[in-house]
Amino acid sequence: MILLQSPCRYLLQVLSTRVQNLDKGVELDCQCVEFDDVRYHIQGTVKNPNILLLSVSLPTPPPETVFLGGLPPGAIDAIKAAYGAVLQILDPPRDGFNLTVKLNLSKLPPDEEHKQALLIKIASIREVVQGAPLRAVLKQLISRGPKSDLNKLVSLAHRPNESFFVVPQAEKVTLIFPMQFKDSIDTVLATSFLQEFVEARRTAGLSSAPPCLWSPSPPQELIGASDEALSANAGFVSFVIFPRHVDGRKLDRTVWSLSTFHAYVSYHVKCSEGFMHTRMRRRVESLIEALDRAKPESEKAKKTAQSRSFKRLSIKDGRGSSMNSR
Amino acid sequence: MDPSTSRPAIVIDNGTGYTKMGFAGNVEPCFILPTVVAVNESFVNQPRASSTKGSNWLAQHSAGVMADLDFCIGEEALARSKSNSTFNLSYPINHGQVDNWDAMERYWQQCIFNYLRCDPEDHYFLLTESPLTTPESREYTGEIMFETFNVPGLYIAVQPVLALAAGYTTSKCEMTGVVVDVGDGATHVVPVADGYVIGSSIKSIPIAGKDVTHFVQQLMRERAEHVPPEDSFEVARKVKEMYCYTCSDIVKEFNKHDKEPAKYIKQWRGTKPKTGAPYSCDIGYERFLGPEIFFSPEIYSNDFTTPLPEVIDKCIQSAPIDTRRALYKNIVLSGGSTMFKDFSRRLQRDLKKIVDARVQASDVRLGGELKAQPVEVNVVSHPIQRYAVWFGGSVLASTPEFFPACHTKAEYEEYGASICRTNPVFKGMY
Repeated sequence: MILLQSPCRYLLQVLSTRVQNLDKGVELDCQCVEFDDVRYHIQGTVKNPNILLLSVSLPTPPPETVFLGGLPPGAIDAIKAAYGAVLQILDPPRDGFNLTVKLNLSKLPPDEEHKQALLIKIASIREVVQGAPLRAVLKQLISRGPKSDLNKLVSLAHRPNESFFVVPQAEKVTLIFPMQFKDSIDTVLATSFLQEFVEARRTAGLSSAPPCLWSPSPPQELIGASDEALSANAGFVSFVIFPRHVDGRKLDRTVWSLSTFHAYVSYHVKCSEGFMHTRMRRRVESLIEALDRAKPESEKAKKTAQSRSFKRLSIKDGRGSSMNSR
Repeated sequence: MDPSTSRPAIVIDNGTGYTKMGFAGNVEPCFILPTVVAVNESFVNQPRASSTKGSNWLAQHSAGVMADLDFCIGEEALARSKSNSTFNLSYPINHGQVDNWDAMERYWQQCIFNYLRCDPEDHYFLLTESPLTTPESREYTGEIMFETFNVPGLYIAVQPVLALAAGYTTSKCEMTGVVVDVGDGATHVVPVADGYVIGSSIKSIPIAGKDVTHFVQQLMRERAEHVPPEDSFEVARKVKEMYCYTCSDIVKEFNKHDKEPAKYIKQWRGTKPKTGAPYSCDIGYERFLGPEIFFSPEIYSNDFTTPLPEVIDKCIQSAPIDTRRALYKNIVLSGGSTMFKDFSRRLQRDLKKIVDARVQASDVRLGGELKAQPVEVNVVSHPIQRYAVWFGGSVLASTPEFFPACHTKAEYEEYGASICRTNPVFKGMY
């Protein structure tokens, strides 16, 4: 797995098993937490198996980010546009959550293919809600109409108390990610990972990908941002998105990849740590082998002849050896 | 306060056959996956001859890096290795012990990032281990968890203790009992007193779920059923999971089958993996003979012939005398291979027979002067048996006492991996 997928696996599994076993409705009450502190809680009852309540809680936004009624701006419209009649927003949401929706499974389309597609879409509710403001900005880029808020720094929350920044311009959108890591080893690995990442962008095969830059100090677009955002310990990554990156079906994927960029980097940092361990283990094994080869023949023969690893000492033996050691 | 203690802990129960993982506080694990990793090893053994040329080396290097990420686990792995010959399957856990740490690390990585999709830095972890795991392997587990995944806290629990804790919510918490854990690769009988494992009395027997499958496979082969040989193990496993049951008496059961074959003999339908042609075969005596190997192991192997009830009795007899009555009273089943119909009833009946015989013998010996109190034998079975260990973990990890009992990242950095050798029994466990 190289990229993180947008539908939540567990949510999708819960939904599909529910849809398949609608006639034997069971009590359902489960929770899960995803990366970046997005929580889900899904509930269903025996009495009314078609109705499921799904609550989502988003990471707490930093103070500079705009949140309307506990949700990113434009999220409610995005949900309505994406799901239609299957889903109904409950107001106010359940305690401790930002959004509660009522799913009506009897309104799913009858044919299997569309049903599955819609279930996947429901499982990616996070992309719809969290990505709504970014999607609006990117959509503005492809629309030919008059553009507002040009060159204004917009901050969008993507992790608890952390945000990334978007600067919409006439022909392009610049995104800046301050990369913050808790662990010191992670920080070092992430820094070199990002440098490689930027380097990889320069290879011939990727010439049409969005240009990206990494710098250890905040870029000039970030003037006016809060101090916390400017103190990122693994540098700043910026992407420039052109209209060709967001036209048609690419929009969804771009929004997802950008809004989970931090999770992507942290996943690969963890992976590299794992692979380093693998290589270290392999190296140790080969060194042990080399040591074994260097052992004198007599010692080896002894080992194989005596299959028992412990030699029982009788009292006499014990005394003898302790005498000798003196 | 540490924000990660406000999030549910992650409970991963790695078994030889299946891994159960999920969030504490849920009733069911999120995923139950076969413990298997499919690794693309085509890059590992490539000759280094071309390494002199810079560009070629670079290409090979980056291909190797890609191969690092090119692996998958669980059902995906099984499917991938069937369709593609560059993938090798490796089973990280054998007989309840981790023996391939590379594969195990990769397995955890996929569990966390691809299945549960959580950030390991945000959650406390509860992992499980078999009662016979060495402290060194616990240390290694801790090392991987803290170094690679940066978990904020870790607790490594013993599987049977968790299986006992699974009864926590149904009645009052009873942390004394014998856990009969029959998994896919290992069978243990473990006495637990007040949350502490009585290590000297643990009995293991070399018959487990996999042996039932082998026996079913062998029976079907001997009867010359038309099952394609490359598929026969999988078919036997499915037959075991779907049709096998425990009988009360083999002879009677044979008679029943012979009198009414239409009622007892089932049909298995499948398609041949190579040609895709459909085939069908009969399932007969193996339905009850499969699970019978726990009660009369002599029909399966010549090396081991002690029936399971007798092993349990021996185990309890070797435990401290003041715990024995309590142990007989609470015999808990756990593991997928105890799911056969009526397994608990058969076990209870056979065990009761042994115990009653002993009580009677002592009564006779005492000549009727003293009457021994009858010993209560109780085999507890509940519907969540298959993942009782996971459920127990979920219950314990959602109690507030769990978090202070964990080893934290700070402690790990202060003292090193040796702190993972011991995991305290905490309140809520007794």
